[in-house]
Amino acid sequence: MIARGIAAGSASSLFKAFVFLALTAPLLAGCGYNTIPTNEERAKAAWSEVLNQYQRRADLIPNLVETVKAFAAQEREVLTAVVEARAAATSIQVSPEMLDNPEALRAFQEGQANLTGALSRLLAVVEAYPELKSSQNFLALQAQLEGTENRIAVARRDYIEAVRVYNTSLRTFPSVIWASLWFTDNEPFATFTIDEDKMEVPEVDFDQND
Amino acid sequence: MRHGALMILSRGRLAAFAALPLLIACLAAALAQSLPALTGRVVDNAGIIDASTESDLTARLAAFEDKSSDQIVVATIQSLDGEAIEPYANRLFRTWGLGQAGEDNGILLLVAVDDRRMRIEVGYGLEGTLTDLHSRLIIENTMVPAFRAGNFAGGISQAVEDIILVLEGNAAELEARAERNEDDGSWWPPLPVIFFLTLWIGLFGGSLLFAILAPIFGRKLGPGRYRWLGIDVGYGGSGSSSSGSGRSSGSSGSSWSSGSSGGFSGGGGSSGGGGSSGSW
Repeated sequence: MIARGIAAGSASSLFKAFVFLALTAPLLAGCGYNTIPTNEERAKAAWSEVLNQYQRRADLIPNLVETVKAFAAQEREVLTAVVEARAAATSIQVSPEMLDNPEALRAFQEGQANLTGALSRLLAVVEAYPELKSSQNFLALQAQLEGTENRIAVARRDYIEAVRVYNTSLRTFPSVIWASLWFTDNEPFATFTIDEDKMEVPEVDFDQND
Repeated sequence: MRHGALMILSRGRLAAFAALPLLIACLAAALAQSLPALTGRVVDNAGIIDASTESDLTARLAAFEDKSSDQIVVATIQSLDGEAIEPYANRLFRTWGLGQAGEDNGILLLVAVDDRRMRIEVGYGLEGTLTDLHSRLIIENTMVPAFRAGNFAGGISQAVEDIILVLEGNAAELEARAERNEDDGSWWPPLPVIFFLTLWIGLFGGSLLFAILAPIFGRKLGPGRYRWLGIDVGYGGSGSSSSGSGRSSGSSGSSWSSGSSGGFSGGGGSSGGGGSSGSW
């Protein structure tokens, strides 16, 4: 009898605790407990999009190199530079878990910036080959490459904005309480520096090469 | 008294706090070059499209959206004020929210007259159909020659024709997209609404029915008191009130129908910078 009474008592207190939790859990969400994880996931998703677009560019390059080779094989130096820069850039991988490491991000940026530089030199050289410029294959590749560069720019802008929101939520009032109580190992994410923004899209100057 | 004064003070401050982000948002919008308003499917702020072509285009684009759910919008501006056309077009596209939400099937054809630049910005959902190369070919082969000849309206009209041709070229995909986004016409409420209405009508209508049927089929116990199916029902005097259930009936339905009466607005789609730009 006594044992059963205790069992019933603990069961009912368990039930009470459950009800209490069920009632307070939404309050927790209302207090901004979810803000930091939500912003973190958003920033990580934005980073995945950045990687996706850089990967797309890397995938286009072998085809581009082959096409240029068919018309301008003597530009060996520029072509090798592109191939090497691509290999170097794709060897640096930054997974979403590494985003709080500024060193990793800087290395990634440098690799991609080098590739952008090599690509823009290649596109400048191409200007000297009219039949290459007018070939259908090259036109298609050029359109895709331009589109990809633009998508990279958009993805980078979105990532910068997502990181700004996330880093702000780690340091501003309601959510900073959760950051110090619970998300103690959440570090601010690194973002793109202005330096790399300068290198940006390969520009082709028609006047100088003609 | 002091407490009341404190309340008033804090309320005033609260209002100020609420107004501050609004003010900042307005300021930021003003600084980042004000974007034109989405007044229709053709937003001709540069005034390069004549009235008959404009109404033609609007009708054509509306018909195409009815068929495919794809939203194509033509916009012309006088100047980009030093900004590159790509980020500007992307910003405009996202602000207007072209294409259906989740489907992102919008296309923006933007012309900046003073900068002699044009761009076809393609939403995420149409990148596979209207590829960058398609956009580029439309710009190079259709728009540039017409624009060089000073025929803006004709070039734009022909480019829209080409875009629709490409989108229609992938007929199977177009049909599937239209089917996914078919929400007007045969409108059917979502499942939770049906469930809620059934439950509500069952409970409320059931008790009403019971009250009506009890005097007819039930056994009379006394004046105004009946017993039917083992339940005592009393009438008159202390009527039990069934408050609270009345208010919820009106809220279903109305908010689901999209207000497509005349005005045009974006469906909430987004773009990731697909498409192509050119200059003439």
